[in-house]
Amino acid sequence: MTIFWTEDATLLAAILATLLPFVSFVLIMVLTRARPRLSAGLSIVAVTVSLGCALFLLVRHWNLQRPIQYTGRWLASTSVEIPFGFLLDPVSLLMLVVVAGICFLVQVYSLGYMAGDYGFSRYYAFMSLFAWAMLNLTLSPTILQLYIFWELVGLSSYLLIGFWYEKFSATQAGKKAFVMTRAGDVAFFLGLLTVLVHLGNFNILEMNGPQAVAHMSPAILTLSALLVFGGIVGKSAQFPLMTWLPDAMEGPTPVSALLHSATMVAAGVYLFARLFPFFSLSPTAMTVFLAIGTISMLLASTMAMVDRDIKKVWAYSTISQLGFMIMALAAGGYFAGAFHLTTHAGFKALLFLCSGLFIHCHGTNDIYELANHQCRRQRIPTICLLIAAAALSGLPPLSGFFSKEAIMAALAGLSNPVWLAAGLLGVFMTAYYAFRVIFVISFPKPPAKGSESRPDSSASGHDGSHLPPEYCVMAWPLIILALITVLLGFFESPLKHFLVGRLIAGEAHESGALALVPYLALALSVAGVGLAWIEFGRRGAARVGFVERIPPLHKLFAERWYIDDFYRLFVDRVIDRGISTLFYENDNKVIDGGIDGMCKGTVEGGRIVALLNSGMIQYRLLVTFAVMVLLSLYFFF
Amino acid sequence: MIVPFSHVLMLAGILFLLGMFCAVARRNLIMIVLGVEIMLNAASIAFVGASVRWQSLEGQSFVLFILAVAATEVSVGLAIIVYAFRRTGSFDPGAYNILR
Repeated sequence: MTIFWTEDATLLAAILATLLPFVSFVLIMVLTRARPRLSAGLSIVAVTVSLGCALFLLVRHWNLQRPIQYTGRWLASTSVEIPFGFLLDPVSLLMLVVVAGICFLVQVYSLGYMAGDYGFSRYYAFMSLFAWAMLNLTLSPTILQLYIFWELVGLSSYLLIGFWYEKFSATQAGKKAFVMTRAGDVAFFLGLLTVLVHLGNFNILEMNGPQAVAHMSPAILTLSALLVFGGIVGKSAQFPLMTWLPDAMEGPTPVSALLHSATMVAAGVYLFARLFPFFSLSPTAMTVFLAIGTISMLLASTMAMVDRDIKKVWAYSTISQLGFMIMALAAGGYFAGAFHLTTHAGFKALLFLCSGLFIHCHGTNDIYELANHQCRRQRIPTICLLIAAAALSGLPPLSGFFSKEAIMAALAGLSNPVWLAAGLLGVFMTAYYAFRVIFVISFPKPPAKGSESRPDSSASGHDGSHLPPEYCVMAWPLIILALITVLLGFFESPLKHFLVGRLIAGEAHESGALALVPYLALALSVAGVGLAWIEFGRRGAARVGFVERIPPLHKLFAERWYIDDFYRLFVDRVIDRGISTLFYENDNKVIDGGIDGMCKGTVEGGRIVALLNSGMIQYRLLVTFAVMVLLSLYFFF
Repeated sequence: MIVPFSHVLMLAGILFLLGMFCAVARRNLIMIVLGVEIMLNAASIAFVGASVRWQSLEGQSFVLFILAVAATEVSVGLAIIVYAFRRTGSFDPGAYNILR
């Protein structure tokens, strides 16, 4: 494909959008590390241009008929050719805008949040790196290129989670995130190789096209789909590998916002959406995905119901929302999953940024302490938090409502009603835990313990009246995101047309009892809010969740279903004591022993040979004669 | 030629084997040098026999060279043996294992 690139505005925009953050990363790391303001400016300018280009691309290709692909040959082997370039199709364009937009808002927000941090330049450099990796990931035309940027996303999230590296827990969390996602990535890589061996290339369009069926048997398809899904499980923190995400809260809050909404964990679901036709070729794999999505959704919801740390509650809710997306995609609701990914990016970023504002002002993560600090006096973040939580619970006018209804519709289309029931239960729990936080925060403890909390409240009044000077900078992204959250839902049908207009002609409309599903879902989320109101909101409420009344259950949820303990035990028993011991023995006995044996053999051999060379010239003479005789025998006869 | 050539060769071979046995088996340096001399002389007999057999002088000239080499070899060898005897006090080749 030979197109003179300066003439093609689309290509130019794609290059600009994906290259500039990297340029700013390099510039900051090389030149402007000592000048924080300049670094931040560079990074924000870069991401602004990226956002502009992304919007331009989206608008220009709103009526995209078929995917546009620009590739240049990057690596060629005898039979395999791997291109490098851009692939523009509806999902990637939408995701590009989401990523660029969230990156932009978070970077602006970070101007306030990270103000005065001595690692300010470094922070912006990593943010740029993060944005670059994720933007490129969205536009990758081959799954190998996607994998490369996938790893870069993992790297930059590691750097950002462990940003405050003096804190031991932060470095540990970064390491944990990196290692656990790596565990999934190994499976992903094996899946890549399977695809390469059987399909012959990494091209996403070919994987999604009819070639995949032609070249791969059903068993191989299922195998490779499951392996690739392993990467998604790691990245999107799904069931077996979910525990890294709550720990990743050790990073700065804007990082969490970015990580949870648009970049790191969204990459997994995005990959699913990107390879959706490929995955849907294997019904077995899709059922497994559905189960994994459901399990992680339910588990994470239960964890979120008991945690007191505001960021961790949102972290669990991210896992559970990602579970929802995976359920939707696995149920065949391509649009539902992609749409929920988009809306979730908006309201989850909003949730984190609001919480970040509270944390920044009051210096605590605990929701009860935040309540005692009277943080509801800050009108903007409180209202925004309310909007975001309502969107998370799926209340009507907000974006979350529309996407959640789409997911429920997709689940209702399945023959097995278990999935729908699980989804509805998830909706209920989501509303409950979201509004538990809201009610706890906005209604501080009644003055039953007034004498204790008196100094607190006076101090917090002081905090509330003197907002930090960077408050305004941090408030604006909140307002923009809140607007997006409110309005995005009404763009459902144009987006649907944009995303799946050509993919599926028309979805079968549900009829009969299934038409009630949206009302049921709505009723359940209202019931969740109501339960939260009864337990935490109303005057004189006990402020104790129903889960906390059952100690074993509470312990189970608070300990995250002992998944971490299981891993610890597993690592300790099986890996440390089992496999490592085996390897240790192998190293000691077999490898060391082998080498020692060789050395000893050489020495002993030398001794034996040295016996011949004992200074007895007559032996040598004898040998010479013997050799001569033998040689003459050989030559003459 | 009165003596058949095969008899000459047989004599030379027997002498050579005797010399070889002497050089390999005796535990005395002087006897080893003696064995080497005997082997040289066996070769010389074979040469002389051959020169008579084919009526050519090259064999005899070789014998002259062999005699010269044997004489020098004996002189140098005996000198080394005398020196070695002074060092170790023995004629046994097994005693010369300092370099071992």
